[in-house]
Amino acid sequence: MTTATEVLSPADARTRPQPSTRGWIARIGVMILLAAIVLWRVATIEPFWADRFALAAIYGIIGLSLNVVLGYTGQVSLGHHAFVGLSAFLSAFFVTEKGQSFWIGLLLATLAGALSAGLLGLVALRIRGLYLSLITLTYGFVAVNSIFDIPALTRGGAGMPAPRPSGFATEHKFALLCFLFLGLVLWIDWRMMKTKVGRAVLAVKQSEAVAASYAVSVTGYKVLGFMVSGAFAGLAGSLFAHRATTVVSADFSFREALIWVLMVVVGGLGNRTGVVIASMFFALFPFLVGLVNPLEHFVIDTMGKDPEELTLVIGPALALLTIILYPGGVGEQISPITRWFRGEKFSLHPDGHKPKGKPHRAAAVLRHLVRRGR
Amino acid sequence: MRSAIVTGIVAALIGLVLVLGGGAENGPNPFVTLGVLNGAIYGLVALGLVLVYKGTRVFNFAQGEFGTLAAFFLFFSIDSEYGGLPYPVGIAIALTGVLLIGLAMERVIIRPLINAPRVTVLVTTIAMALFLVGVEILAFKAEPRSLSPMIQAIDQAGDVNTIQIFDLAVEPQRLIGLGVLAAFGVLLAFFFSRTDLGLAVLATSQDSFATRVVGIGVERMSRFIWATAALLGAVAGILYVPLTGALTPAVMTQNILIPAFTGAVLGGMTSLPGAFVGGVVIGFVQAVSLWAAGAWRVGGRAIQEIVPGSEQLAILVVLLVVLLARPQGLLGRET
Amino acid sequence: MAVLEVRDMGIRFGGLVALDDVNIEVPEWEIVGLIGPNGAGKTTLFNCIMGLYQPNSGTVTYRGRDVSLLPTHRRVAMGIGRTFQNIGLVRELSVIENMMIAQHARIGYGALAGIFGSVRSFAEERKLKAYGLDVLDFLGLSDLANEKLDGLPYGTLKLLEIGTVLATDPDLVLLDEPSSGMGPEEAHQLGERLLKLRQTLNLTVLMIEHHVPLVVDVCDYVYVLNFGKILTEGRPKQVQAHPEVIAAYLGSEAEKVDADAQEIRDEADSGVAAASGGGKERDRGVS
Repeated sequence: MTTATEVLSPADARTRPQPSTRGWIARIGVMILLAAIVLWRVATIEPFWADRFALAAIYGIIGLSLNVVLGYTGQVSLGHHAFVGLSAFLSAFFVTEKGQSFWIGLLLATLAGALSAGLLGLVALRIRGLYLSLITLTYGFVAVNSIFDIPALTRGGAGMPAPRPSGFATEHKFALLCFLFLGLVLWIDWRMMKTKVGRAVLAVKQSEAVAASYAVSVTGYKVLGFMVSGAFAGLAGSLFAHRATTVVSADFSFREALIWVLMVVVGGLGNRTGVVIASMFFALFPFLVGLVNPLEHFVIDTMGKDPEELTLVIGPALALLTIILYPGGVGEQISPITRWFRGEKFSLHPDGHKPKGKPHRAAAVLRHLVRRGR
Repeated sequence: MRSAIVTGIVAALIGLVLVLGGGAENGPNPFVTLGVLNGAIYGLVALGLVLVYKGTRVFNFAQGEFGTLAAFFLFFSIDSEYGGLPYPVGIAIALTGVLLIGLAMERVIIRPLINAPRVTVLVTTIAMALFLVGVEILAFKAEPRSLSPMIQAIDQAGDVNTIQIFDLAVEPQRLIGLGVLAAFGVLLAFFFSRTDLGLAVLATSQDSFATRVVGIGVERMSRFIWATAALLGAVAGILYVPLTGALTPAVMTQNILIPAFTGAVLGGMTSLPGAFVGGVVIGFVQAVSLWAAGAWRVGGRAIQEIVPGSEQLAILVVLLVVLLARPQGLLGRET
Repeated sequence: MAVLEVRDMGIRFGGLVALDDVNIEVPEWEIVGLIGPNGAGKTTLFNCIMGLYQPNSGTVTYRGRDVSLLPTHRRVAMGIGRTFQNIGLVRELSVIENMMIAQHARIGYGALAGIFGSVRSFAEERKLKAYGLDVLDFLGLSDLANEKLDGLPYGTLKLLEIGTVLATDPDLVLLDEPSSGMGPEEAHQLGERLLKLRQTLNLTVLMIEHHVPLVVDVCDYVYVLNFGKILTEGRPKQVQAHPEVIAAYLGSEAEKVDADAQEIRDEADSGVAAASGGGKERDRGVS
């Protein structure tokens, strides 16, 4: 009697077909082309718009930061403005008051973000879900009313100056810098989720017992998730400060934090491309209306409203639409493209909806094993 | 029984502070009195929050905006430039309007998500709140307006209508708020323990599948809960906004939501009497911290000069302590 | 030396005593069964051994080392693997990703290196994937490598879970009802597979089971748990015929059962006597 443990013939496909080398070159080529187009546009557009694009890139980083907490670890943070704001002030403070270079300020801001979010991660070990979101909300409130009012740090209402680094002082150059950092954050997010950290974080989110049974340190990876989110937020804070060249606490309200949560939801939780696109949209929308002249006339003249105010309604409305009708958000809508980039054949439907092939295959294999074992 | 004991202890503590601080220069009493009266409003909003939580296991972020909307409706009804209607009519319009909006939101937004994960629904209520604020800004413009209270503190004739309580000149509107809270408390307590509908709501909050099997319409429960929550929020807005002196979009959410949440958590998110007690306690804590930050000095400077925003800090501390030490709050049940 | 020793384990949840004075020993390379009616505390015992619950009293000793205070992930890294009643796989990850996270304890790059994308991390990931595919091949599941877990049949998932447990490279494996959902044929196959694996991988196994023929076929020793206490222990056939064990499963009618049991026991004894010439003898008191 043959045992049931003999290996199947190697002629069976081990994984789904991989693209040829030409296929990969095509994919990478398209990605580079897209990036090049974006960067070229940023470099050549009028300074007003370059500045707006810089903000869009910063919002992209903020979205990715919140996505780590909301999308990957599954917790709701309603106080992210505290991390971004604190880092913004610290970056400005170290450059203006302590005479450090922009890069040191940036680094310190990133570390501060990571540490303060790490503290939140420690709290999250004991308190979860809806109650944790309350704590983040309250902490955010406290930060705005207490920390952001400390005169030494914020110079009161006048705000703390935050000069740009030499070499990147123009709108265009600074915008390119912001996009470079966005690219860096995307790279880190990609590597993080592709390697053991990503697997561990997702496992912990789903079931701590199962994660532990895989020798994953539950407390370690919970805190790490928060720290990475905080690091991204800190980076964004520093860029935010030096883009505006003066930091005032009015820039960071709890309404901002809530809007950031909504933009991650619209982007699609856990979907980094979708989140970046949605975040940029939220950053640019008030000005996009201005681009389309008939629309602008309609809004300002016929409706008698300021386009900026329109954002305040469109944003939440989009979020509601996404949650109720399109839970995957922007990410799901563009998934044919992102899946192609990942190496799958281009198709409009994910493999989950494909024809009956695979499940039957598995059943056949099992039957095969059982029969051979008899 | 337990609620009565806890309420008694809380009342005794507050009373003790008032007695000890009586008549003192820079004493806490004016703060404490104001705090307790604010606490009544927090309690009203907390009641709405706990109701929604009991029924659907969700924090209703939009609870504050029900109040802001009601205040806007009231303003546009009674202000001489717009509606010019009598105050009671304005109140009726405001309550009806918010009720309808609450029901519409329940139908269009909450109902489809009845089985979604609770975190999703939390984000949904956030979106709802922001949407309402956006609509307010768009429709009503952001400039601050002045909404007058039901009974003026100082009326046309120049007579002063305030009452002196514990060193504080209390506007009548605040006392009305206290009365309304007490009335709602009695009403809801009666409703939940004596009527069939009330018991059904409690059953739904425990186990919605079981209640559906037994034949109670879960959809009807959901509608009822949201209507009541909207009503409570509206009443809170009508009572509170005239006292702040400035009606602006999001005014209720900015001032009331966090203390109300904390009060609800302190009282126990599953306990209606807890919402009362919690709200009042938070008002008290806020007041005492505000007073202490002004009156106590460290190294020659008042605390509030060193660390501003102590009232908010105190609330955060309360929230942390409760969630870390006793997550079910004072009167909640262990889940 | 026993691979696993559980001494005086007790745990209470509120007023409910889930485990009381439980003592268990699992010698090396044995397959030990843990049986008992539903609610007896078997999975609770597993959770205490793994460190998911902190017992009120008692110790867990693994290879002579007291691990009672170690967190779960450390115990797993030391070599204790465990399956779950409701399939302990991560549904957010694909099949191959589950195989890769199973190797978590042995990954050769740190978290930061992974985040920044060091060269080493790329190489290690390739190794993890290759090993994972090998195990999937062994199980005949390599077609499914990139599939999500949703929609895969129950039997496949159970098979996969065994694969992931093996990929953690354990010395001791705690199996929680491995044959649940299986018919008699499949359960028999599972038994064969377990015996083979024990041989090829030098495994020691502690197994919660309800499937009596499987227990009798495969286990070298059996503990019976009832209401949180060890009711009896011994070789499978002896335990099977023990009147209290039968009563525990059936509830009442102990008297009739007694008589029947006596018959079976006589048969079993004569069978054991015949085999005792060459088989493994063990010095254990049967209570």
